[in-house]
Amino acid sequence: MTATAGIVFRLAWRNLWRNYRRTAIVLAAIVAGIWAMIFMIAFTRGMIESMVSDGIRSIPGHVQIHHPDFRNDPTVDNLMPSPGGELAAALGGEDVVAWSSRVRVPAVISSERGSRGVTLLGIDPVAEVPISFVADDIVEGRHLENERDRGLILGRRLLERIETDVGKRVVVMTQGTDNEVVDRGFRVVGVFESEIASTEEAFAFAGRAALQDLLAIGDQVSEIAVLGKNRREAEQLHRRLAETANAEVEVLPWYELNSYLGTTMRTMDGFVIVWIVVIFLALSFGFVNTLVMAVFERVREIGLMMALGMKPRTILAQIIAESLLLLAIGLAVGNILAWATIHLLSDGIDFSFVGEGLEIMGAASVLKPSLGIKDVLLSTAIVLGLGFVASLSPAIRASRYHPVAAITKE
Amino acid sequence: MDSVRCVGLYKTYKQGDQIIIGLDGVNLEVEQEGFACLQSPSGAGKTTLLNAMGGLDRPDGGEVYVAGKRIDNLSKGQLAEMRLHNIGFVFQAYNLIPVLTAMENVEFVMQLQGVPASERAMRAREALNEVGLEGLENRRPAKMSGGQQQRVAVARAIASRPAIVLADEPTANLDSSSARHLMELFAKINETRGTTFVIATHDEMAMSYAKRLIRMRDGKIVEDQLQET
Amino acid sequence: MSITLRLAWRNLWRQPRRTWLTAGAMVFSNVLLIFLIALQLGTYQAMIDNTLSAFSGHLQVQQAGYKEKQRIRQVVPRIRDVAEDLRSGLGLNSIAARGEAFTLASSESRTYGVLIIGVEPEFEPRASRIPSLVSEGRFLDNPDAPEIVVGDILALNLKAQIGDELTILGSARDGSFAAAVVNIVGIFDSGVDELDRSLAQMPLEFFQETFAMEGAGHAVVINAPSLFEVEAVAEKAKSLLPGGQNLVVHDWNDLQPGLRQAIQADLIGSWFMYGILVILVMFSVLNTQLMSVLERTREFGIVMSLGLSSGRLGRLVLLETVLIGLIGLTLGVALGGIATSWFEAHGFTYPGMEEMASQFNIPDRFYPDLNAISLFAGPTVVFVGSVLAAMYPMARLHWLQPVQAMRSA
Repeated sequence: MTATAGIVFRLAWRNLWRNYRRTAIVLAAIVAGIWAMIFMIAFTRGMIESMVSDGIRSIPGHVQIHHPDFRNDPTVDNLMPSPGGELAAALGGEDVVAWSSRVRVPAVISSERGSRGVTLLGIDPVAEVPISFVADDIVEGRHLENERDRGLILGRRLLERIETDVGKRVVVMTQGTDNEVVDRGFRVVGVFESEIASTEEAFAFAGRAALQDLLAIGDQVSEIAVLGKNRREAEQLHRRLAETANAEVEVLPWYELNSYLGTTMRTMDGFVIVWIVVIFLALSFGFVNTLVMAVFERVREIGLMMALGMKPRTILAQIIAESLLLLAIGLAVGNILAWATIHLLSDGIDFSFVGEGLEIMGAASVLKPSLGIKDVLLSTAIVLGLGFVASLSPAIRASRYHPVAAITKE
Repeated sequence: MDSVRCVGLYKTYKQGDQIIIGLDGVNLEVEQEGFACLQSPSGAGKTTLLNAMGGLDRPDGGEVYVAGKRIDNLSKGQLAEMRLHNIGFVFQAYNLIPVLTAMENVEFVMQLQGVPASERAMRAREALNEVGLEGLENRRPAKMSGGQQQRVAVARAIASRPAIVLADEPTANLDSSSARHLMELFAKINETRGTTFVIATHDEMAMSYAKRLIRMRDGKIVEDQLQET
Repeated sequence: MSITLRLAWRNLWRQPRRTWLTAGAMVFSNVLLIFLIALQLGTYQAMIDNTLSAFSGHLQVQQAGYKEKQRIRQVVPRIRDVAEDLRSGLGLNSIAARGEAFTLASSESRTYGVLIIGVEPEFEPRASRIPSLVSEGRFLDNPDAPEIVVGDILALNLKAQIGDELTILGSARDGSFAAAVVNIVGIFDSGVDELDRSLAQMPLEFFQETFAMEGAGHAVVINAPSLFEVEAVAEKAKSLLPGGQNLVVHDWNDLQPGLRQAIQADLIGSWFMYGILVILVMFSVLNTQLMSVLERTREFGIVMSLGLSSGRLGRLVLLETVLIGLIGLTLGVALGGIATSWFEAHGFTYPGMEEMASQFNIPDRFYPDLNAISLFAGPTVVFVGSVLAAMYPMARLHWLQPVQAMRSA
């Protein structure tokens, strides 16, 4: 058996280079196809990866806990007590990297020159560090020092819209309990920037205790953001927390908190497979054509090998080996080129000229391709699998040649 | 015991809309260590008979035995297996696999037979020496003359140690000295190794080497005689 | 039929399987290109229509700088006259004046930041779709009544219903405190979450009164009869504006820069995919035609020695390629057209489409737009690419030496 495998492989390899021009053209086509296939997948993966990680940072967290009515009515009426007892213990679990409880209310921020509606978040700046984006993105002024800090952090765009600046005072108006409008002056202490420009307009950050004080809600909070080890383990984390939490709170994973992100992730896997199959099909015509020609012009030789005692099965194996070898070389070179391309572009490709369009999609304007081993294996498996199927027809034809007819063929 | 035995072989084939009788009740036994020439005008059945004996083609009627085993009722795969172990072929032309070297061509059948690599190499080298092709082991067929190619085919046929070597017009494409050389080689191998040869030919020179001469006309054996060489 | 044509056609069918496989590659790519391009055109159209017609319109007249800073004092003075002049000057009714103010709106139990739009009840229904998307109650009908229509998400957040009162607090044009109590008369559902969550509309005259606008507003919305006429309408509108007031006309690309860029971003990815498909077809054609030339070397050598020029042989090979290309084009357009028109009639969706759709303001079924462009653009490029790919095999004929060629096996 091994000896036969040896001769099959040797024949397949040498036959491949017999008509080097034809092989070179088909190989070029396969390499181009595989390159495009892998590059496009890596590119799309990179884009979605950044969408999801940005998305998770703006949710923020892999899992969030709210009052059950909070998501429909995100106001001070739907608060929950600061986590204690069993929930606090559960949040101390090993699969929790960080958690932070926050107060989240709609508010209007006014300067002398303008006012805007925002979502005002009361945070504990220390607990928030690993979870949310603010800490890294303060470009001017300072971050909040602690949850009692009476300063306010605004986004760059909001700052420009209402024409205020670091060090100036603005008025924060929001609804306290009993629908009383409460307001207080805050000093702007820091400015943040975000890759997603609309975030700069939509959110403002204050100390949690300072906000609880303004709203007179004691130590109650609106949401608890929980960061797990990675987003793929969010499901287990969610299950564990949901089991611990009592019925008075709602525990949701990120893919339900932002269903667009969750769907995008799932749709992505489908896109990858569709794209691989489309490329393969586009390749397959030229590929099968080449095999058919190769078999056709080797009729006599195949007849000779059969006469000498090579079994039809072995003939079949030889043609298939030849086709898989061709694909394997194309896959190897295509993958290497794609990898090299991705490596060259590892700083990301700047699409800021369509940045606001990408923002609608939830993506940043500098996109970094990201090549996953899973996608490489998947594309290799699909290409070789479909290649096998595509080469069956010419291979079966070859194995059905009649030795006498084949040898005497002119 | 006979190397190959045919009983009442019958075979027709179509040419255009004409039905041609290729074999018409042929009975033939070729003994071990025999050296027979099949002679007939072209189209009178010698290639058809050779193909039936070699298990390349199935007769429409009759029985074929190779090394005592009946082969006319075997499947395609079983026939291939039978040819692999029992029959060596030398064809008129297009004998070698173009992408393999002389040495690899000789080894080809042994490789399929599963002969271990070291023994294979030894037997192949020996066979190439025997046919006088020392030093050409690594040539590809395209770089060899017609006579050299035929001798590689002979080396392949004997290296795998078949019971019988079937040769179809082996000298037809050769010049007369190469042809004579090839026939002498056949005779020598028949003598020294005891390999059975059945050679289809219409070359008078080739026939002169045969121990037994079988003449065919219209699918029938019309003459079968031993001759002194 | 000329002899070359007849010869070319016969040559194709010497290897029917190869011809079909080559044409098959074209048909496959053509069908895919027709469907995808039609799908893109349909989707982009829906994105543009839904996004623009819901609120922002094709064009807006604003004070220069208002778009960036949106300050309440960056006004268009005597805005109703400006709108009226534009209506008569442009001969269009789909023009309406608006005022805009960020406010705090409180219901009995809730308070939210809201963007209040003062609109002309008479003209707004012709300028945007929000009036027609009122799902509960009615749209505004009185130019100076203390009435308001709010988005459905906002209504939900405010826990407010038709007939409830809202208290509006904000800053007036002169910096003074602006306040009003208004009645909710309608709730709209535009399908665009951002609008439904943060937008409310009240009559323009009442708005001007509340925010001390003194007859001014912030934007005149203009809708051209179609997207293609936007540019012409914008040019004309510019000439109709009163001078000396620093007014500008913004087109939809200025107003919704994300929209065109989202389409462009999508196009970049699509061009890449289409380019690859065409290149793969070109390789396929190159391979077939090169093989077909190489295996006929001997034949070509003979006819050349008989006096046929290599130029004529080149034309023969070109004609063969053109014929395969035409087969691919015809079948591709036919099959692609049939398949796409089926989807055009029945729509097309995939799991997860709903979430995607709401992100991009499109309906949750795709309807490809099959027209001359989507039907022929892809196949034409594939055809031209195929003919280009045959140039190399053709060029080889020029280097062919008859005697050598005849000797080759």
